[in-house]
Amino acid sequence: MEHKPMTLKRTLSVLALTAAPFLVAESAWAKDITIRMAAPDWGPTRFMQEHANATYKAPSGNNVQLEIDFIPWPNFFDRVNASLNSGEQKYQMIVSDSQWLGTFIESGHFLKLNDLIAADAELQAIMNNLHPALVSGYSTYPNVSAADIEKTGYPHPDANYYGFPQFPDTYVTYYRTDLFCDEGENATFKAAYGSDLPCNPDDWESITWDDWENFGKHFARKSGEKLGSGTADGDFYGIAYQAAKPLDFSTMQINAFFWQFGGGIWDETTQPNSPALGVVNSAENVEGFQRFLDLLEYAPPIAKTGQMGIFEIQDLFMQGKIAAIVDWVALGAPVIDPATSKVHDRAAFAVPPGNMRDGKIDRTGNLGGQPFVLTTWNDDEVIKEALDVVKWWLSEETQIAAVKAGGQSGLVSVLNNPDYESWAPWNAQHKAMLEWQKDLWHVPEFFELLTQQQEEFDKAITGQISAQEALDNVAAFQDELLRDAGRIED
Amino acid sequence: MADLNTSGAGAVSGAGSVAKSGGLLAWLNAPERRGPLLVAPALITLFVMNIFPLLWSFGLSFFNYRANRLTVPSFKGLDNYEKVLTDPVVWERFQTTGIIVGASVTLQLIFGFLLALLFAKTFPLRRILLMLVLAPMMLSFVSVAIFFKLFYDPTLGLLSWAIGLFTGEPFILLATPAGSIAAIVIADAWMWSPFVMLLVLAGLVSVPTYLYEAAEIDRASPWRRFRTITFPYIKSLLLLALLFRTIETFKLFDLSFLITGGGPGASTETVAIYAYRLGFQFFRTSQASALAYLILFVVIVLTSIYLYIVNRRNEEG
Repeated sequence: MEHKPMTLKRTLSVLALTAAPFLVAESAWAKDITIRMAAPDWGPTRFMQEHANATYKAPSGNNVQLEIDFIPWPNFFDRVNASLNSGEQKYQMIVSDSQWLGTFIESGHFLKLNDLIAADAELQAIMNNLHPALVSGYSTYPNVSAADIEKTGYPHPDANYYGFPQFPDTYVTYYRTDLFCDEGENATFKAAYGSDLPCNPDDWESITWDDWENFGKHFARKSGEKLGSGTADGDFYGIAYQAAKPLDFSTMQINAFFWQFGGGIWDETTQPNSPALGVVNSAENVEGFQRFLDLLEYAPPIAKTGQMGIFEIQDLFMQGKIAAIVDWVALGAPVIDPATSKVHDRAAFAVPPGNMRDGKIDRTGNLGGQPFVLTTWNDDEVIKEALDVVKWWLSEETQIAAVKAGGQSGLVSVLNNPDYESWAPWNAQHKAMLEWQKDLWHVPEFFELLTQQQEEFDKAITGQISAQEALDNVAAFQDELLRDAGRIED
Repeated sequence: MADLNTSGAGAVSGAGSVAKSGGLLAWLNAPERRGPLLVAPALITLFVMNIFPLLWSFGLSFFNYRANRLTVPSFKGLDNYEKVLTDPVVWERFQTTGIIVGASVTLQLIFGFLLALLFAKTFPLRRILLMLVLAPMMLSFVSVAIFFKLFYDPTLGLLSWAIGLFTGEPFILLATPAGSIAAIVIADAWMWSPFVMLLVLAGLVSVPTYLYEAAEIDRASPWRRFRTITFPYIKSLLLLALLFRTIETFKLFDLSFLITGGGPGASTETVAIYAYRLGFQFFRTSQASALAYLILFVVIVLTSIYLYIVNRRNEEG
């Protein structure tokens, strides 16, 4: 019998037949697992879903789908709160505002991650790579300050870790280069106020709230008056920042004024020994709040209604009605998009103004953005898959793709990438502002504290009460509420 | 008789055999079960979605339950009702609600009545205009609120632009408590005046024309014709409109929440918004339930008056 040598075709056929049962068996072993995540409906989470659909493959070999339940921002808290408290156990992961951590941790809904991180070298590497301000604000409860996190690195001996950054946000200045770089405008401004208009982003490093006020006065124009190289086609306004009753729209900017003027908010990290009375209504806070109120004089008239939120000022800026605003980085993408913005080719970004104190400019701001967390009712396999999703999202490759798509990253290695600043026009400012971030309270009483405060701030913004009265009311309310909760003791 | 008995027995035996041969479906399809089965889905839905939550929240109003706490609720009797009734904020919100209800319902009655008088006559394009006038009450609250929010916007809004043509300054209606209440009243009246018009129009077209002819022969003045002929016919319907709109406006939430957010401060915060805030922002779930039951009590009183008037009208009819 003649032995014929095997042809390549026959060899492949034999190999295929031999491997087939194993391939079939492997696909039979692979489980279908859905990681359902509640998230606000906006760009950063939409990108996460699209990118997961396109690129995510579970290392376990299971068929893991990330399925994001997009919830409109105004209903986001209500929907998440209702879902968690109803016990429906619908979500495996949740994008949570950092301030909600205490509420949902103490209700037993968010999973403590210390042991899981300690057992996983990849997660430890991520924790060591995260910016300390984000670990402090997004992950620790009870809150550990960013300074402490920075001092010890990971792991901090007293920290309980719960979340990872889904989208870290800071606020920056959006300004019009056609106005701030206009020679005629600059000459008029210099004649009136003795300094140049800041044209390049670097020029804004020395800008204080006093300068901001001057921009407000200088750029206020009536319809038909000269503006830059043209004329104003309607009333035009110099400056604006958030000052609105809904959500946290006033608090986020007013807290910055408190901190920058040397004041502060009730300090949860030293409870029960930190008072509210005398801190919340301190002379520094009253001065800071009064400055915030004074500067609203140069904002568009919607400021007087207490409804000048982050979306309203973004819209007015895109409509070409304001020279400069302070707003979140997250809202920058539509501003440079020709499809949505009239000033897309004239918008630039800079650090926000600060307060000159002891010869230095203080730019302390309130941390924005959101962490994402795991819920407590998942079995070990789902937890493992969810943590793999975390690792995928916080891998450098994914984070770079997110930043390039208009998002942001909390990874220091991404922020330090030599090309980082070229990926978006606000990246340099976002990175600079991360150093100035503090967060507000994370305790379960957060929503009551915020709601009452927003209402009192709104009364002051609409001229019904003074800054002092508003802060006295807030301090008295916080003192009573936090004493009842055992968070303030004599 | 024998035939009848035989046929009756045969029918019973036939039904039994059908039940045997058709099984569960035939048993369910039996005439005595068909009715209850047909209404069962509606009753179950009503119980699950309406009656059960109603009873549950009523029970909660006697405990100290907070939806964002894990602590086991304890029985507190009437404490929550006492807290709500002695809370000055609740009475402020009731006052705000009363002002909005009073102003809005008055405007709705006036404009609804005038529109009904207009559309009771025949004129060219009447049908098309009637459809347009009825459109606001068919829109969703959210659409109306967004429309008015943009309309009132001091920088981009139509109202500010129009007034600015005369004053040279932007008009900021929502900057003051009075202006904000006016803004909500206008939006609510715009939306619901057509409803009043529909009711009044139904009364106006039911007036027999011979009465007006007789009044004309008697040379009765227009005012006397209105007082003695028109008004008696529309009186009950006007009262119905008044009560129906009072009940609905008393529960006003959407327009105020969306146009002003309850501000400036809390000047346009109605009692319904306050109940929502107590429940979903302050998480005093039991207290919010107690307040909701107080609102329900007021609505029940108003509804009883409404039903009394309906019954009286039926008796008159």
